[in-house]
Amino acid sequence: MILRISTLALLLLASCGQQEAADIQLSNAWARPTVGQVPGAVYLTIENKGGEPDRLTGAFTDHAAMAMVHQNEMVDGIAKMRMAGEINIPAHDRIEMRPGGTHIMLEGLRAPLRTGDDFDLVLKFRNSKDQTVKVTVTKPEGQ
Amino acid sequence: MTSHRLRLILWVLVAIAAVGGILVALQPPSPNSRETGLATIGGPFTLTGSDAKPFPSSRLNGKPAAIFFGFTHCPDVCPTTLARLVKLRRQLGSDDAMSIVFITVDPERDGPAEVGSYAGLFGAPVVGLTGKPDDIERVKKQYGVFSQKVDQPGGSYTVDHSASVFLMDRNGHFVATLSPEEGDAVALAKLKRLQA
Repeated sequence: MILRISTLALLLLASCGQQEAADIQLSNAWARPTVGQVPGAVYLTIENKGGEPDRLTGAFTDHAAMAMVHQNEMVDGIAKMRMAGEINIPAHDRIEMRPGGTHIMLEGLRAPLRTGDDFDLVLKFRNSKDQTVKVTVTKPEGQ
Repeated sequence: MTSHRLRLILWVLVAIAAVGGILVALQPPSPNSRETGLATIGGPFTLTGSDAKPFPSSRLNGKPAAIFFGFTHCPDVCPTTLARLVKLRRQLGSDDAMSIVFITVDPERDGPAEVGSYAGLFGAPVVGLTGKPDDIERVKKQYGVFSQKVDQPGGSYTVDHSASVFLMDRNGHFVATLSPEEGDAVALAKLKRLQA
């Protein structure tokens, strides 16, 4: 009996020690079409299926001169767009970027984004490896 | 003598208060305390259309209009707002039910061609307007719109700006605003009222 309890205790201790690492999965990456020299915005879902939080630290693409993680704030009816710091991706949780909130702004696009185009975007994380996602240029549903 | 001095001091205080009051009154309105009364929002204007020709606001008369102030280098809030207006107008039943008007607050970068092609991104008629910086300032004042340039890394800039949409009736009179936060049900009810 004592042996059984101590084995159980040992197993529990062992499971506490080895927490599952962050497991990042990217999906639903899309951007609206653009025209001329105007910047674009990419929206996507970042899911962390692992047991440890991680942080989005940056975004890169060959399709634009710069990719920046941006956040919109609405202060007294004034829309303000600012660089976001690192974005926390909690364990077993997801961040869904939607129009009007957090997005990845592409400044200096090599060519305007046209409906049906796609291009690669690389996201960098504090702990997880770089992840590449294909961004599709599309108009969101209902428009 | 003492009462003379006291009176003098009091008059000086009154003068200081008066000057202070005038200075406060002369200060440009901050975004938090706009003093535009509802009835005074809007009014006639002439800006520049995407064809580079003058666009008098009287051309909007005859059907309701939704007027939004933004800028073309705005990748998120502006296209989101315009696409939402296009979607809501479709729910009214016809693209002819209302004019959707996009006025740039960034006339330095947005000429007639830029506002025209930007307005063309939404798969439905959107009127893009620009103008000389002074003209844009005047219209912003008429609508109580705030905007301010903010530098960005890389030498570029973004523009903080009022995000409300102004709903005008078929005679060009202000009726209500649409805000990004209110749900589509409230927004659609406002637009239907505008049709009546």
